[in-house]
Amino acid sequence: MIELLAQTGLNAVYAASYISLVAVGLVLIFGVMGVINFAHGELFMAGAYVVVALYAQRFVPFFIAVAAGLVFVGLLGLLMERALFRPLRDNPLGGLVASIGFLMILQALAVMGFGVRMEYIPPVTQEVIAFSDKVRLPISRLYVIIAAVVMLSLLWYFLKRTRFGWALRASAQDPQAAALQGISVTLTAKIAMFIGAGFAGLAGALTAPLVSVNPYMGHSIIVTAFIVIIVGGVGSLEGAVLASIVYAFVHTFVTTFYDGVIADITGLMLMLIVLIVKPTGLFGSADRA
Amino acid sequence: MIAKALRGGFSRRMFLKSSAVTALGAALPNMTLAAGETIKIGFLAPLTGPVSAWGKPGLDGCTIWAERVNAEGGIKLEDGEHKIEFVAYDNEYDPAKARTGATKLIREDGVSFVMMLGGDTWPGVQPVADRTGMLFSTLLPSDLSPDTTTLVAPTEVHPIYIVTGVQWLAENRPELKTAVMCAQDDALGLPSVATYLAAFEAAGIEMQDDPLLFDPATTDFAPVVTRLLSSNPDIVCLDTCYSDYVHPICTQLFLQGFKGQIISATADFYDQMIAKTSKEFMEGFIFQFPDFDDPALNAEHINFPDANGFYTEYNKRYPGQWGAVSWEYASIMELWKLAAEKAGSVDPEAVLAAMQEGGKGQHAFGEASWWGEELFGIDHALVGDWPVVMIEDGKARIKAFVSIPDWYDQHGDLLIKYMTKYDQMWSQRS
Repeated sequence: MIELLAQTGLNAVYAASYISLVAVGLVLIFGVMGVINFAHGELFMAGAYVVVALYAQRFVPFFIAVAAGLVFVGLLGLLMERALFRPLRDNPLGGLVASIGFLMILQALAVMGFGVRMEYIPPVTQEVIAFSDKVRLPISRLYVIIAAVVMLSLLWYFLKRTRFGWALRASAQDPQAAALQGISVTLTAKIAMFIGAGFAGLAGALTAPLVSVNPYMGHSIIVTAFIVIIVGGVGSLEGAVLASIVYAFVHTFVTTFYDGVIADITGLMLMLIVLIVKPTGLFGSADRA
Repeated sequence: MIAKALRGGFSRRMFLKSSAVTALGAALPNMTLAAGETIKIGFLAPLTGPVSAWGKPGLDGCTIWAERVNAEGGIKLEDGEHKIEFVAYDNEYDPAKARTGATKLIREDGVSFVMMLGGDTWPGVQPVADRTGMLFSTLLPSDLSPDTTTLVAPTEVHPIYIVTGVQWLAENRPELKTAVMCAQDDALGLPSVATYLAAFEAAGIEMQDDPLLFDPATTDFAPVVTRLLSSNPDIVCLDTCYSDYVHPICTQLFLQGFKGQIISATADFYDQMIAKTSKEFMEGFIFQFPDFDDPALNAEHINFPDANGFYTEYNKRYPGQWGAVSWEYASIMELWKLAAEKAGSVDPEAVLAAMQEGGKGQHAFGEASWWGEELFGIDHALVGDWPVVMIEDGKARIKAFVSIPDWYDQHGDLLIKYMTKYDQMWSQRS
């Protein structure tokens, strides 16, 4: 039983890692721009397809392909900011609808570029850290955990210790007051979109060899990300990370000890309970909720 | 004439009568063909979207099949030879789109027969079938019920054929005593779960746990595999999982150190699974869908002409795309062609009667019987032998053809018991 608990714990840490990368990106975009980006799951998908195109089809080293995934999807984020969200800055509902349209465009582009089949991606490594016969951590999953810890730490440092980070947080708290202080709302929006989209792309790229890559793979991750940001508190980065950990552990343990369908129901129940007990989420503030 | 009708008094009753006749006439498809006219066949399946792997490869196979038939002159009916052509409609596995597609194929394209994947899309199409009397085929006999009088399941009797793999395993590897199973919680997974449970019980293999059901949206299978392996099973059964699940589950089984037997309904793109794990890990993997370059398919009882040549041509045109359904729709067409030629017409009623004459049919894997009254409420499933396929040295090979009716004669009560438990009997499905 101890081995089962340990293996399940390792599985949960991996799940928390990639979920938090996606959720934090979504929260950052919402926090700074006030837009719910429904295309975030498709940004995750786009990151995975960069790995397909570079690593699986053109034999570019995996980590270079992953870095390219982060940058490419970050640039996609900039494109969304310029083409969709900036013209609709005072219209959050318009931004949401535009992101749904962009979601469909990205899916269609993936279908046109790669077809509808599941993509084959060679394993990055088959090495495993074996703590015992029944407790094993594949190195490929360890990469995801390390990347999430490093990138989230860097983001924390950027937001708390740099002038750009302060500007970003100021814009998130009160865009008008920030603008009066000489902070460019457009620039902070660009930074938020690049980082938020880039994180989703990074998560998709890193997990690509471990999941089935197809044009519709963004559906499930966006649902999970929404549950996480509602539980964590809409607009709260700390809340998104904590909620990712809580959700991943609950979902993984319930899947292992009951089944996956009950795990999904439990995840939704978790969200409902938080909404009833603390409607703003664990770390949310009333003005953002 | 109109003036005469008006002079004679165009009563409300006459108006209703004539409207009804007009509507009925419009609903019925035009079943007559001009001499030499091309016969159109509807292909109504998911060609895009998550389920397209069970549609698009089938259309590709049909294209090759049609070229071969046309090269030999076409379909020979009473009035001479007719070329054949497929008209495809992408239903995206959506019932509403399937209904629109069925109407369009019948009314606008004038097809003589419609092939479907079935499943979730059939309820959308059934009213069209009832109204028009068009002959439809499905790969999923769970669509059948006493009401589906123009629907046949003539190739893949999913999931009943999976009993053959378990029976073969029990006979050839008797040291395997325990099993666990996982499946996606959907219309494809649940009847398969019921059938595997019946097959394992019939084979004396103990299930160590209830089947582990997962949401079809699952992407990370590590927790599922951890749970499966927690009881040290001899056999891990992957049910009828889509290839999007089979691949990551096998990868996880490999990474989490499983060294036992794996059995699955399908193993599409198994070469990729070998590349993601190892040849040694995949050795002995049992599933149910052969590569058509298998020498066993040259046997006399096989009713799929030049199966090896078909496979070669398919791989030449669509490299790396061969899957479970690549041959199935073409196999249905082979059966339909024989029936149409026997009937001398493409009229759906005549073709169906010819197809089912004597209660026997020429299934791809040998002569089979029209069957299904107990399970589906109608004898519209063509059942006979089915191959058991094993991966040996990195290549799928047919190990045996096993009789499904023989298994059912001995263990049918078990199948009904589990189908009932999972609400999969036709009377429960409605």
